[in-house]
Amino acid sequence: MELLGYLIDSLTPFNLLLALGGVVLGTVIGALPGLSATMAVAVLVPFTFTMSPASALIALGAIYTGAIYGGAFAAILVNTPGTPSSIATTFDGYPMAKRGDGGLAVSIATIASVVGGMVGALGLLLLAPPLARIALNFGPPEYFWLAVFGLTLISVLSVGNTIKGLIGASIGLLMSMIGVAVVGGDVRYTMDTQFLLGGIDITSGLIGLFCIPVIIDLVATRDPHLKISENDTGLRLGEAFRITMREKFNLIRSSIIGTIIGILPGAGGSIAGLVSYSEARRSSKESSEYGKGHPGGVIATEAANNATVGGGFIPTLVLGIPGTPPDAIILGALLVQGIKVGPALFNDQGGIVYTFIFGLLIATMLMLPVGLLIGRYAYRSIISIPKAMLAPTIAFLVIIGSFAIHSDIADTYMMIGIGVIAWVLERYGFAASPIVLGLILGTIAEQGFVQSYLIGNATDNVFGMFFGRPICIALIVAAIFTLFYPLIADRFTPKKALDVELPSSAEEEPRPTRPLKYRDYPGMVIAALLILVGILAIIDTAGMSPLGSVFPTTIAAALIVFCMALLAQNMLRPVSTKGGKVVADAGQAEPSTWRRVAVTLALAAWAVAIDQIGFAVASIVGFAIVTFISNHDRTSPLRWLAYLAVACGIVAGFYLLMSEVLLIRLPKELLF
Amino acid sequence: MRIPRLQMAAAIAAVAVGAATALAADFPSKPINYIIPFNAGGESDISARFQQSVWEKHTGGQPVVIQYQAGAGGAQAWSKLNGMEADGHTVMGINLPHTVLQPMIKDVGYQTDDLTPVHYFHYTPNAIFVSKDSKFKTLQDLIDHAKANPGAVTFAGSGSNSANHLAQAQFDQLAGVKTTYIPFTGTGPSVTAVLGNQTMAGFNYAPSGLNQGDAMRMLAVASEERMPAFPDVPTFKELGFDLVGGAYRGVSVPKDTPEEIRKKVSDIVAAINADPEFRKKMEAGGFVLTEVTYDKMEAFVESKKGEYAKAAELLGLKKQ
Repeated sequence: MELLGYLIDSLTPFNLLLALGGVVLGTVIGALPGLSATMAVAVLVPFTFTMSPASALIALGAIYTGAIYGGAFAAILVNTPGTPSSIATTFDGYPMAKRGDGGLAVSIATIASVVGGMVGALGLLLLAPPLARIALNFGPPEYFWLAVFGLTLISVLSVGNTIKGLIGASIGLLMSMIGVAVVGGDVRYTMDTQFLLGGIDITSGLIGLFCIPVIIDLVATRDPHLKISENDTGLRLGEAFRITMREKFNLIRSSIIGTIIGILPGAGGSIAGLVSYSEARRSSKESSEYGKGHPGGVIATEAANNATVGGGFIPTLVLGIPGTPPDAIILGALLVQGIKVGPALFNDQGGIVYTFIFGLLIATMLMLPVGLLIGRYAYRSIISIPKAMLAPTIAFLVIIGSFAIHSDIADTYMMIGIGVIAWVLERYGFAASPIVLGLILGTIAEQGFVQSYLIGNATDNVFGMFFGRPICIALIVAAIFTLFYPLIADRFTPKKALDVELPSSAEEEPRPTRPLKYRDYPGMVIAALLILVGILAIIDTAGMSPLGSVFPTTIAAALIVFCMALLAQNMLRPVSTKGGKVVADAGQAEPSTWRRVAVTLALAAWAVAIDQIGFAVASIVGFAIVTFISNHDRTSPLRWLAYLAVACGIVAGFYLLMSEVLLIRLPKELLF
Repeated sequence: MRIPRLQMAAAIAAVAVGAATALAADFPSKPINYIIPFNAGGESDISARFQQSVWEKHTGGQPVVIQYQAGAGGAQAWSKLNGMEADGHTVMGINLPHTVLQPMIKDVGYQTDDLTPVHYFHYTPNAIFVSKDSKFKTLQDLIDHAKANPGAVTFAGSGSNSANHLAQAQFDQLAGVKTTYIPFTGTGPSVTAVLGNQTMAGFNYAPSGLNQGDAMRMLAVASEERMPAFPDVPTFKELGFDLVGGAYRGVSVPKDTPEEIRKKVSDIVAAINADPEFRKKMEAGGFVLTEVTYDKMEAFVESKKGEYAKAAELLGLKKQ
């Protein structure tokens, strides 16, 4: 059999070594927030010029799939998606880690990633040409409805707190419109600064929204970052396999969703993860446990995002259209090699393609041992290193990670600013995840909408564009179903089960001590401020073209309506007898306000210092200051010295990784 | 502490001046950083990668390191170019019409004349594409349909106020038709729209015609002469429309880079352009090589500024 011959071709020691090296490097890069799969692949390109095309593809594919997988580590262990693909992994992965199941979550993520990656690669191997048609059938209206479908996830993410979820999503959608609009070219909400011209980078937004609140809360108390369970035996692989087997339908469904969304050039891993998560939660019998540490959420997201790797190669190799940004780089590398991709590739140069696909399958399987090994180490490090080292390390990573996106310190300022706002909002019940959803889906929704409208207008068929196409109708039905599912499910759930469920699901999880039944004054103040933001946003659309202003006007109006609803809802509630303020749990130490303020200021100063006095010196000083802020114990001078040595080591290590391996331009001011 | 700092600055300046003269003699003396102001994977990146694959042959063994600094359609990097090390070991990709149009319509932190291109080495011509099952077999078919149904012909293209968008506006004027331009977020999505018949046609760059093989038909291309990669595709000029252009790509340096070094960088790019291996790859990839060396630069940029100003008027662009 011909295919078997290609399998043997891909099994040369050199190719295996490339696959292994690629997966290891990819996993590490993916685990660091800000360093993306795209960056990892781009770095490797020059090295592939001297390789055979199949080997080059194997190396690039391995590093890519490794990076998508690595994103799960940061998501689970520090609540920050390492790459945008693992956003939905934070929803359940981090709660699992918090309660002491971090090792288990890492193992589950690894198994799910391997299975998802295999399904995607098998789709590429067996069904590539027919599946590529999907990419062509997805036009602007389909993208619009896909984004709308993604947004309906808000209704399940914010059960019991729907209005605040909707407000959060509106904020995210408005944020996504900042900068120069691709469609129409309007300059929007930049406040005449150059700083905002490029818009809010999704990665820096993600790091800010997810990770800054973690850092601020981390330094505030003496409690450990993650709980260590009594009978902790590391990664708990056997248990992980059993759980994954129990969730096998979820696993397969998510892998298929991931493969198909990977094929769509405008979507990508983040949307694949969110859609699979939403489907997993909707169809689960334990859907109320999602968002509180249900393994199914981790399985759905991680299976789907790794499946996008194989899926994304389908249009890349069959049509010559990159499915995802890393695919675009790989396509370029192939062109430099003199390989013509496109329909002819599978026939004329089948040897290269099939050798590569087998290489990708092997690389995916290698993720199991590699991932478990790295995962074990990462998990051990996170739970065993003292807080005085953990907090500054995370702070350092988010600062350099946000800088690395465009080698621009402005992204770091933006990240810190967004993070502080996110922390305040989160404290008063506005969770980060709806904001992220809006930020990610906003551009897709808006572009799809405006393009559909333009095409519909040119062909006198606006209505048919939006509502007359089969895939659109399917997406609309799915969106309605997801939106109202919580209500439908409630109606059909037996009364007994409802009684058990209500107390846990009706309240907001992270801060159960602040019941929402009472009038929520801080929430009302925020709502009032946001009404003002909404009004300003509408006023600012005056100078825009009609197409550029339709979306921001709609969203800003929606924001105002939701905020008014929140105000009205609160007016109907009784005033709390305790004045709305609730003291933290008696058992826990009082969170320290000065540390919170200090760490925020330290982060900002650190970013400014990088720009002014250079990367290395600023980072060592910044590291030391955050160590001091997060240190809750009496510490001997010797220990301080050890801390300083570790700080220098970490900064030096990352300096080399960034400037020598990833070739990122670092500011070299006065003192390098 | 004020005096030592002043002395130090003076010393640094002295060293820098001395170094600059020494540098010109043995330039390049270390790897050259080549910053691409876009994300990896686009035409700017691919053409730089083509250069990279033969670079060392023309610099006495010094390699080139490609870095990416994307943001705001390239403006983020261009606005920072003049603050970078001006010893020739830091160069940046530069594009037209971007660097003329961007400062024309908004405040992007640089002016066209602030930038110092030293060599524009190629362009990707605009071309009109349709999918293989389109009823338009020739450009005339498309024009006839557009004349009978004003506004009904939809063109997918990459971005608003881009080279594709300018070409569509110029085409409408030259052919006396009215068409609708649908901007997409880049070449990939816009080609997908053409392939999937989401739009009736596309204004894309010529290299797109290669990857898709028979799936797309090219009706006309905006190059001076027929392209080696597409011997059967007529030029707009042949068909009677004076439409030549696309996205031009070159190499620029920070403004403080000494004259001799600017020439040397230009010479390196020119030598790579003459490399048969490079020429073959670029032409097969649908790129058209140009020889706008440093001495021809001023006249070239001036003429392009005039051309784009006229085209921008067609689009109704004004400073926001």
